[in-house]
Amino acid sequence: MTEAMIRLEGLTKRYPGQRADAVEALDMEIPDGEIVVLVGPSGCGKTTTMRLINRLIEPTGGRIYLEGKDVTRANPDKLRRRIGYVIQQVGLFPHMTIADNIATVPRLEGWDDKRIRARIDELLELVGLEPSAYRHRYPKELSGGQRQRVGVARALSADPPVMLMDEPFGAIDPITRDRLQNEFLRLQSEIRKTIVFVTHDIDEAIKMGDRIAILQERSVIAQYDTPEHILSNPASQFVANFIGHGAALKRLNLSRVGDIDLEQWPTVGAQDDRAGVLAALRASERGSVLLLDSERRPLRWLGARDVPSDDGALDDAGLPADAMLGLEATLNDALNQMLQSNYAAAVVVDPEGAYLGVVEFSAVAKAVQRMRQEAVDSARAAAAGTHPRDVVPA
Amino acid sequence: MSLGEYLSNQGDRLLGLVVEHAVIVAVALVISALLGVSIGVLVYRTETPRRLALQVTGVFLTIPSFALYGLLIAPLGLGAKPVVVALVMYALLPIVRNTVTGLRGVDTAVVDSAQGMGMGRWRRLWRIELPLAWPVIMTGIRVSAMILVGIAAIGAVINGPGLGKDIFRALARVGTPTAVVQAVAATLGILVIALILDIGFLILGKVTTSRGIRD
Repeated sequence: MTEAMIRLEGLTKRYPGQRADAVEALDMEIPDGEIVVLVGPSGCGKTTTMRLINRLIEPTGGRIYLEGKDVTRANPDKLRRRIGYVIQQVGLFPHMTIADNIATVPRLEGWDDKRIRARIDELLELVGLEPSAYRHRYPKELSGGQRQRVGVARALSADPPVMLMDEPFGAIDPITRDRLQNEFLRLQSEIRKTIVFVTHDIDEAIKMGDRIAILQERSVIAQYDTPEHILSNPASQFVANFIGHGAALKRLNLSRVGDIDLEQWPTVGAQDDRAGVLAALRASERGSVLLLDSERRPLRWLGARDVPSDDGALDDAGLPADAMLGLEATLNDALNQMLQSNYAAAVVVDPEGAYLGVVEFSAVAKAVQRMRQEAVDSARAAAAGTHPRDVVPA
Repeated sequence: MSLGEYLSNQGDRLLGLVVEHAVIVAVALVISALLGVSIGVLVYRTETPRRLALQVTGVFLTIPSFALYGLLIAPLGLGAKPVVVALVMYALLPIVRNTVTGLRGVDTAVVDSAQGMGMGRWRRLWRIELPLAWPVIMTGIRVSAMILVGIAAIGAVINGPGLGKDIFRALARVGTPTAVVQAVAATLGILVIALILDIGFLILGKVTTSRGIRD
């Protein structure tokens, strides 16, 4: 474990007039550059714990260290400007433009206008919103997903080392949520912030977390470990119950498309004529080829029967290739795409949308088998007294 | 005498009264807006002071204007001063109440995220809460303006300025040929002021409200 970015020491919160602590003597270290997910049933104190870190709730006992310094008594407003904050309802300022929303903390910190303007554009691009199109809009003119992206951009504005995210994707429809989660993971692989992420959804925790803290009542840690270890070796019955059934399926959220070998599929370009397509089909054992545009973006699946008999355009032959995955998508996403599309395969593209390869159903099945084997080995090793972390997978 | 003849005859004098009337309403409104919004800001977060403020300003509004003007003669004498004080008292309730309602209606997630980003108490109030509550506060001020235009006329009983003078003069001369037309002209003047203020505040409210929260 690298140097802890955040260290909590005996952190306690008891509300006046309550007999029990809301958060009870919590000790925790959050390593630099990792996403640590606090997950637990509702009322376990996970949100309270998060809000103690930026002192939106003042602790009644214990210490908070940020980058090694005790900030338990530091000026809370100054502290909060070093900690990005994203909440489920986003909380964009409705009377301010997107640019002014993002500029909030830089203005508090007294940046000059030129630097602020440059930072706004940089951040909008980072979260995938065209600056010239969105800068001057108001929050009400954006969709839920776009607002959430602006919320993330706003939290990153003054480049804080730490971000707190309270169910950031909780209020978004499932399809957009998957996309935002994947985008966020790709973003995180570039920015490497230390992130405390609160959710009640174990699947989201497994997908997003480098480390997961499963919390019980009064924010007592039931288990704090990597998702792999929690899935294969739940520390208690409480953890096992919380993970629920289908641990094998949940592991699909742990492997990313980028981690497995992609299959190569025969491709043809838009400039290829009928003969070229037929030749490509004959040269391959697959029943179809993938038509790419001039920038190698997948357009359509073409089978032998789809090739027009005259020398007509290929533009609307075959089936549209619309199920695309990025390298950061999980195998769970891949399986979903396959079930929805017409082929037992999902197309993988790079961030610019260019074709990289294909994930086939058999590859997902193989990955599940391998992970199950690893989990069994790891459990056996643990039973034999060896810590699973020391076991090298065969 | 017809209204037209009266207006061509007395138009200039009447216009002077209209301006007097509008000025005293405007002065009272500015004072009560500053006072009312300040009181609203001070009490909106705490239960007991909030209830107290609303009850006291509510009582002000129930005192009959004749009685209030009369009560103010002893400490403040006659003329414009007691009229302004009385008008401020009448205008407070709608402004305080709408300030409280507007501020309490601001989305808690918005305030929470402002605090979480490191905005201090006063900056949050000034940059986030007041601008978001502004349309509601403006409505309160507009309602007060309407109330004041009417009540200011009664101020003439203690020698206050404005169109009330003509109404009371006409009442004193009921039965004379010009009495009715004089009262009607003054009342029309009050209606014109009310209309202009209403439209003025409507436009002012639109102009001073962010495009992001306008309907």
